[in-house]
Amino acid sequence: MTFNDKIDEWIAEAETRPGSALMILKLIAGRLRDLTERNEELLAENIALQDGSRVETYQKRISYLEYQLELLKRRLGADDSALEALAEQEKATSLLVYNATGRILRLEAGAESAGPLGRLTGELSAAGEPPRLLALPAREEVLLLFTSGRISTLPVSSLPAAAPGESWDWEAAPVPEEPHAGEQLACLLPLARLSLADFFLQASRRGFVKKTPASLTQSILENHFLGRGTLQKADQAFDLLLGQKKDLLALVSAEGRLLGLASDNLSFSAEERLRLELTDYVIAACALRPDDVLLCLTQTGKVIQREGKMLELAKSAASRGQALISPARLEQGTRFIGAAAVRAQDRLIVLDAAGWISLHGAGEAAAAGNLHAEAVILSMGLLPARA
Amino acid sequence: MSIKIGLDFGTSNSGVAIYDGRQVRLLPIDRQNVLPEVVKTVLYITRDGQFSIGQDAIAQYYRHNVNRQRRYVRKWAGEIDVIGADMHFVRDVYVMVDELKPGRLMQYLKTALRKDGFEGTQVFERFFRPGDLVQAYLSLLKRRAEELLGEPIDSVTLGRPVKFSENPARDRAAEETLRAAALQAGFRQVEFELEPIAAALDYEQTLTRPENVLIFDFGGGTLDLAVLRLTGPGGQRQVYASGGVDVAGSDFDRAIIEARLLPHFGLGSVNHQPEILEMIQAVPDWMALPELATPLNRNTLEKAIRAGLAPVRLRALQALIYNDLAFTFYNRVEAAKIALSSQGATTLSLEDSGVSFWELYTRHQFERDIARYVSQVRQVLDETLAASGLEAGQIDAVVKTGGSSNIPLFTGLLEQVFGAEKVKASNAFSSVAAGLAIRAGRRG
Repeated sequence: MTFNDKIDEWIAEAETRPGSALMILKLIAGRLRDLTERNEELLAENIALQDGSRVETYQKRISYLEYQLELLKRRLGADDSALEALAEQEKATSLLVYNATGRILRLEAGAESAGPLGRLTGELSAAGEPPRLLALPAREEVLLLFTSGRISTLPVSSLPAAAPGESWDWEAAPVPEEPHAGEQLACLLPLARLSLADFFLQASRRGFVKKTPASLTQSILENHFLGRGTLQKADQAFDLLLGQKKDLLALVSAEGRLLGLASDNLSFSAEERLRLELTDYVIAACALRPDDVLLCLTQTGKVIQREGKMLELAKSAASRGQALISPARLEQGTRFIGAAAVRAQDRLIVLDAAGWISLHGAGEAAAAGNLHAEAVILSMGLLPARA
Repeated sequence: MSIKIGLDFGTSNSGVAIYDGRQVRLLPIDRQNVLPEVVKTVLYITRDGQFSIGQDAIAQYYRHNVNRQRRYVRKWAGEIDVIGADMHFVRDVYVMVDELKPGRLMQYLKTALRKDGFEGTQVFERFFRPGDLVQAYLSLLKRRAEELLGEPIDSVTLGRPVKFSENPARDRAAEETLRAAALQAGFRQVEFELEPIAAALDYEQTLTRPENVLIFDFGGGTLDLAVLRLTGPGGQRQVYASGGVDVAGSDFDRAIIEARLLPHFGLGSVNHQPEILEMIQAVPDWMALPELATPLNRNTLEKAIRAGLAPVRLRALQALIYNDLAFTFYNRVEAAKIALSSQGATTLSLEDSGVSFWELYTRHQFERDIARYVSQVRQVLDETLAASGLEAGQIDAVVKTGGSSNIPLFTGLLEQVFGAEKVKASNAFSSVAAGLAIRAGRRG
């Protein structure tokens, strides 16, 4: 239909119902006014482009953004000298011990390079799930992801630090945000590096992965909802990471399956990527750079490592992954309890069944192929050398 | 005293109303809808067993499907016996299933109650009988009404068509399934009233002598007609005939989009490849649109845009499919249609990221766009009248109800057939729900 045909139809309406003519006139006049205003704006923009003032404005904006970026780089340790200036503020490191019921115990981690930090007393495992460990600067904020897909945020400093000593009562640890009926606390995520991230990467217990653009952060935080990241009823959200386009995502399962995925190629909807046996489940998800080492730990302290640059990437939609534990060992009951992307100077935090929390040098553990614990190891965390 | 409600469980739209003895209050049961008193009769069931209804269901359906991956796998669905003259063998039947499908949107729940041979449907892990689907829908509707009223609701008067089915056994079974679903949804007392009677309830109260009445119930999903003999309040009623046709508001929305808006998304601009034409032609169908939002289609559109094939219009199509604008788009069209019932001209416009169109739209244009439906309405009107055994002159009053009955083109048609003095709007109560609420209130 041509524009002239439309005009004929408008005239036909005015002829059939003369009362409509005024309404038609008003609507066309309103449109004309809008278009005239827009035309003015475009003409002004055209002038600004022709005389170069628009270019100047953009150049100024770019310079300002570059300055902001430089500040951010320094703040995050890209520049060693700046890091030293910030070191005093950043030195205080908190260790969060948390579990699915939402209990979070905050401990102050000192400068010890290795050795025991102290002991947790009380019943450690709630419904078979041992507590998980997360070390982060005391000034940070954490995001709490629940298995329903709900989220909330919490400044670490708002958690009461456990009194210094050698033992802490785990059952007396606070529950800062009670999970709603039917949900559990899936994981904690430090938020400081959010501005540098391209995506949130979610991993589920049954090997499903979902990517969410970091550009949606504001709406996610406003709505307190990120999504479950799962498709199966029996499955549940397990871990949440911040990733960049060039990162690799490594998934490690209890029965020793390792899968590498390129973050940039992941889907924005939940997809099964690691096809697991019925009894198997994901125990770690890490964002990996080429110069990182993926270090996996069994419950007996055996360390297995893979270099980031040697990680094979999955080519098919859902893969069974690479086997890191031999069938014979699996039959004997060997299982992974944790994995992390580490560098030589980082330290591993380990919680054993006797409640001891101890620090171990990542470089030493990788070199020795094992680390010593008083009892069966329940979980593992990472204390990075550089925050 | 517990609250009693009237509940119009319609094929396409539903509504809830209460009556306090003096006036009817239609509950704003779906605040996201253009008309908050109307809730679409759709139910969305997610893979993890969550239910939602109305615009909330549609929003979730869109949110879950836009830009998601699909993975089709072959699944065994059962077996069929193949019997010939001298042979008999069993053959396996396989269907292709999208195993990443996050949820299923169910429509026409009311039709499922009367459909011959329909026992139910498998939704992920669970088999739903028609009554289960209706129960899930009614439960959520009841919960919303209770939240609005702040009190529990025990009693409901449900509308029912004159005939669910021509087969009396099937008709009884459909009503019993609906009753059981309502009881399972938490209503303790369930009553029924014929929908046309509910629509004409207010009119019936004013009668001083018996009259032959034609009810013209033209809503969002269907046109339902009934010819009745009414004798007055509480008197005898005789249903002479009933009829209907699947033409109503949603078809007019489609007609507007097809006639006026598809060129803004690239139709007719250039000779597009079939995949793109398929996307453009799916725009009028709100259910089909999210299914198009695949990564593959995005690439196809990107390529065409880069090749300069009607780039502005295809960018608008891309934005409509991928930027969650469908909601706004369909609501604008519906709002324009409603406006043309009371004024001669309005606009169809949308200004958002990637989409920008403006159309002056007149009643003359609208009537041209929906002209093909007038003959269908005329035909069902004549057929119902013939089935009743009455002549047009023997009809004493035509009571029109439902949003689409306000379209001047159809009012004109009724006036032409029956005479302008006989055509009456159903007073302030423009919906079946209102009549049902009055019935519920008066039953004590």
